[in-house]
Amino acid sequence: MRRETQNILLVLLGGALLKLALTGTYLRYVKESLQPWLVATGAIMILLAVVAIVKDLSDGRREEAQAGSHAEAHAESHAASHAESHAQARPEGHVAAPAAVHHDGHEHSSRSPWMLLLPVLAVFLISPPALGADTVNRSDRNAAQQSKAGSGFAPLPDDRVIPLTITEFVTRTAWDDSGSLNDRTVKLTGFVVRKEQNVYLARLTISCCAADAAPVKALMVGQDFSALPTDQWVEATGRVVPGSATKDTAYVPTFTVGEVTPIVPPEDTYEG
Amino acid sequence: MTITGELRGSRPRRTPPRLRITSLEVLCVLLVVALVFQDWLVAALDVPVLRTASTVFVAVCVQAMPFLVLGVLISGAIAAFVPASALRRLLPKKTALAVPVAGVAGVALPGCECASVPVARRLMQQGVAPAVALSFLLAAPAVNPIVLVSTAVAFRDAPMMVPARFVGSLLTAVVMGWLWTRFGKSEWIAERALRRLPDDDGRSRWAVFAETARHDLVEAGGFLVLGGVFAAAFNVLVPAAWMETLGAQLVLGILVMALLAVVLALCSEADAFVAVSMSALPLLPRLVFLVVGPAVDVKLIALQAGAFGRSFAARFAPMTFVVAILSALGAGAVFL
Repeated sequence: MRRETQNILLVLLGGALLKLALTGTYLRYVKESLQPWLVATGAIMILLAVVAIVKDLSDGRREEAQAGSHAEAHAESHAASHAESHAQARPEGHVAAPAAVHHDGHEHSSRSPWMLLLPVLAVFLISPPALGADTVNRSDRNAAQQSKAGSGFAPLPDDRVIPLTITEFVTRTAWDDSGSLNDRTVKLTGFVVRKEQNVYLARLTISCCAADAAPVKALMVGQDFSALPTDQWVEATGRVVPGSATKDTAYVPTFTVGEVTPIVPPEDTYEG
Repeated sequence: MTITGELRGSRPRRTPPRLRITSLEVLCVLLVVALVFQDWLVAALDVPVLRTASTVFVAVCVQAMPFLVLGVLISGAIAAFVPASALRRLLPKKTALAVPVAGVAGVALPGCECASVPVARRLMQQGVAPAVALSFLLAAPAVNPIVLVSTAVAFRDAPMMVPARFVGSLLTAVVMGWLWTRFGKSEWIAERALRRLPDDDGRSRWAVFAETARHDLVEAGGFLVLGGVFAAAFNVLVPAAWMETLGAQLVLGILVMALLAVVLALCSEADAFVAVSMSALPLLPRLVFLVVGPAVDVKLIALQAGAFGRSFAARFAPMTFVVAILSALGAGAVFL
């Protein structure tokens, strides 16, 4: 692959990362804390490509000038061919040392940089959505873990309706022996997932990027949910069925829903 | 060159210029075609499985790129500012001694595995023995402080997991380094990875730095993306439910967790959180998962094949896989 093409690909890829980082779309793929790194990475990619382009241009100009002075001494056709051979030789001629490494690479053997086009196209043209119901159904485990209970449970506020993350809801139902959620009305936010006959309210948690997404979910009962499409984001208020998250239910608590309202998806769809 | 130039020059061929199709034209055509068929492309990918796969693919790439850039910047800095003689002075003369030193030096590179491949390759080019560079390559992503802290946070209930992981990973790196010293052949490594850099070729150091970093980024970036494709494919093809039913079958659990570490290609800073959530399994298979993952996974195999050649990766990756499992079992026997 020619240097020019590599540089264009780098600019495109750097641009794709900047676009993700600056428009907030990156939250579909990675954690919020990565944003400054993505901006820096995109900027460095573009900078490296621009440095190389500027250098190539100035080298090219110098060689043209040399070829030009050549032409004065020789016949015109001769000079033109010289300029051409210079141009062809350029990738070999002007790059020494580490760049010489990329010779093995040029034009024929190194096809790997073409792969850089894939994320560019994926980001600019397809812009894949945040993970949803499909990912939840790929796993039976409920990611809320016993180890999180180790630090103990803080008392819940006395509000009439308590907003909770699904992770905390699951953890408290499964491992808080004091039954702090019993007879309390809670509000959960998540998307609708269907598996067999059951309808779940689910969220995904990520610890680094979407590749390690793990689901947390609660079984919704108490009314007919058939009007809600799969992957629809909702806010649901209701009460837990005490003791419903056990080993037999794979620690998925049952949630008796009183009221459910469709909402627009939050910007960061992942929990924790 | 000059001769062909003269020969060609004898024929008057100024016009018309021969139409050459280079990668530049191909790229333009590809971009235009992709734009024209954008709607069709989006519609074709609008299947749950493909949607999930494409999200995971972008996520793996986006997550790893900052680390790769960090790696190529360090690699460029080594090429430009650290003369080969300084590295030789720094490391013990005997390779067998330098291997553990390089392994422990991995503590200083806080990143995931994508960062360490370009750095290891640069070390080789600067005259560091391949065994030593390889041991650094294996140790760096697994024993650095960020990874250890995230492991400690994830395994709050089993704090011995941290020393077990540290020792298991370091052991993998050192044993592989020694094995390479004893049995490795330098012809397995692609010649381009070993070509020495001239100490001074008259260019400014900053120019060397920028060009090396740019070149490494383009090359390794392509392989990283390839690894991302595999990781995304396995992510949707390997039924996660299947390994969650393994339960108490220890031997099977260890093998499956080791394979899972290879195909999932998780970032070494995140794998502890995934391992901790697989609470159905005993600790030992999960330790194997943590030790194998940073040493050998599809993303890393792709990067290694790119940096050191396919015949290297075909030998190094399976060997590392076996050594990593054994090291993890050894460390597990002591600490867990």
